[in-house]
Amino acid sequence: MNRMHSPTKMDDSRAVLNIIGLSKSFGSLQVLDNVSFSVAAGETVCLLGPSGSGKSTLLRCINWLERPDRGRVLLNGEQVGVSNAGVVMSDRDLARMRMRIGMVFQHFALWPHLTVLQNVMEAPVHVQRRPKDAVREEAEALLRRVGMYEKRDAFPARLSGGQKQRIGIARALAMKPELLLFDEPTSALDPELVGEVLAVMRDLASEGMTMVVVTHEMNFAREAASRIAFMDRGGIVESAAPDVFFSAPATERARQFLQRYSAAADRSLASS
Amino acid sequence: MSYSDVLSIFSGALTTLLLSLAGIALGLPIGLGMALIRWGRVPAVTRFVAVYVSLLRASPLVTLLLLLFYGLPDLGIEIGPISAGVLALTMNTSAFYCEIWRSALVAFPREQLEAARAVGMRRSMCFRRIVLPQIARTSLPALVNEMSQLIKVTPVLAIVGVVDITRAAVRIGADTYQPLPPFCVALAIYIPIIFALVSVQRWIERRQARLEASA
Amino acid sequence: MIHDFGIVWLHVDLLVSGLANTVILSVSAALSALLIGALVSTVLVRRAHVAGHIVRCLIDVARCTPFLLFAYLIYYGLPSLGVRFDNWGAGMVALIVYHSAYMAEILGAAWLALPRDTIEAGHAFGYSGLRLFRRIVMPPLALNAAPIIGNQIIQIVKDSAFLTIIALPELTNAASAIQSQYFVPFAAFITAMLLYWALCLVVEAGVSVLGRMADARR
Repeated sequence: MNRMHSPTKMDDSRAVLNIIGLSKSFGSLQVLDNVSFSVAAGETVCLLGPSGSGKSTLLRCINWLERPDRGRVLLNGEQVGVSNAGVVMSDRDLARMRMRIGMVFQHFALWPHLTVLQNVMEAPVHVQRRPKDAVREEAEALLRRVGMYEKRDAFPARLSGGQKQRIGIARALAMKPELLLFDEPTSALDPELVGEVLAVMRDLASEGMTMVVVTHEMNFAREAASRIAFMDRGGIVESAAPDVFFSAPATERARQFLQRYSAAADRSLASS
Repeated sequence: MSYSDVLSIFSGALTTLLLSLAGIALGLPIGLGMALIRWGRVPAVTRFVAVYVSLLRASPLVTLLLLLFYGLPDLGIEIGPISAGVLALTMNTSAFYCEIWRSALVAFPREQLEAARAVGMRRSMCFRRIVLPQIARTSLPALVNEMSQLIKVTPVLAIVGVVDITRAAVRIGADTYQPLPPFCVALAIYIPIIFALVSVQRWIERRQARLEASA
Repeated sequence: MIHDFGIVWLHVDLLVSGLANTVILSVSAALSALLIGALVSTVLVRRAHVAGHIVRCLIDVARCTPFLLFAYLIYYGLPSLGVRFDNWGAGMVALIVYHSAYMAEILGAAWLALPRDTIEAGHAFGYSGLRLFRRIVMPPLALNAAPIIGNQIIQIVKDSAFLTIIALPELTNAASAIQSQYFVPFAAFITAMLLYWALCLVVEAGVSVLGRMADARR
């Protein structure tokens, strides 16, 4: 396997995820501008930033749900989306890479025609071709872990947002992914349902799952993240440990962002 | 194909159009009547209407037409090709109109009716001034769609001897041993007419969507 | 009149064979139209593409064409161009080509109405190609489109009756044969209509089973 020169400071051989020079524009709008960063095994990286900063686009470029215009994405050293020869991957090859990356969606995206248990078992059985009985045992264990075992035979349409998202997390975990991506997992939830999902995510982080999380939940980021990557206008402006970032942000833009958020938090506290 | 051939196709087209219009003109109110009976749950009659509508919606027009043209004389009722044609068209299309009107009536908000009765409106006035204008508007796309469906099945009238487009085309084809041109002409007449209706239907749907969006 | 029905009953084998032909015709045409319609709809939904536009136009023309004229065209008209079908061939071709257009329209609309999230999650979990279609796209699509497809199948059954005009021995043709031979028009055609009704009720029963499955998941 060819280990390439990357401009990142981190040691490549430990990096689960390597992003090099990623750029993407939608029409005339430059959404990602030459972004590079790495995630080591066991790290929980929270992507924070104002809306329009490119956080979600960056996340979705990792498993090529968005196709970057330039740059490379490497999962444990292997390229995603583009083969080593520089040719865009076939659908099947891309699918094979995606099997190894788990994703949790903002609007849950559970498959409506399947029960909860079937949702969790579906991809491991039919994409990863693992034996059904073993997958069922693991799926039931995962559902128990996220607290959704009793609802295993229900259809997603009957469940609350928080329940659906916990199932979404179980579904992603069932694939035994090398990397877990979270795309604003709690943004579509009613406030009282946010806590149950964050609790599951906190447990995952403390158990050493490699996670990249796009979120607006500052408390979660402060407590569970091992690193904060702050994005603004298409680039990673600041990257630091949470206690450093929240107490003494290095850049002016990060300072403004945190000020706005703490003001909003104070307002909502005052009105509650 | 000579000029007189084309002329006979056009006159056949006219016959087709007139018969369709007759079917629509009769079918619309009859369908509405049947829908009102089912909506009002008139005892005994409602059941009968429901069965009748279900049967007629399931029956191919050609079978119904043959039943009326050959079967009614069997029962002692004399009937000519044009009457049989109009009767078949009307029976068929009124069943579909009934279902269209009925779904609009079922979806009609109960509170509006209660409000009208509360100010002392009698049933017939309530229907005429409150219910009908609104269900006419919401049902319009579906009604126009059914009109285009009706015109699409009129060629079958040729089977009982009504000299419409189809029969004219068939006759010319047999006379000239060149069946293709008259059929193409017939199609060239039918397709724009139906397309015009479908375009009207789509225009109505777009306008209604816009009105609803701005409301 | 009772006597007339008795005569019809005597020759019920004719009706049954006509009914069987109608069922064979309708089922084969429906399955073929669904298959072809599914393929065509994949082109139809690419709105921006030239092929999508062409397919859109063809489908619009097909939906504005009277089926009977179309069947006539294929049976009587095509021989002038050197393409000759017998009545079964012409009937099948007419039914399949005509209703493929409608099925393509229905499936295209159902596809566009599918929530994008569901399919995107399929991609993210490593589904692609046929597997994505079979396990992620088709089940919710089929459940949602079942009532409209059921309606179209009923339409196919009714259109098959038109083929009596090209002497195809389906149900209406059988009823005509009985009535012209034994002079029992009313009994013969009413029986035929009741049989069509029965077919229709079978299709509607199937649709309502799928409807209940869809409701459980809604």
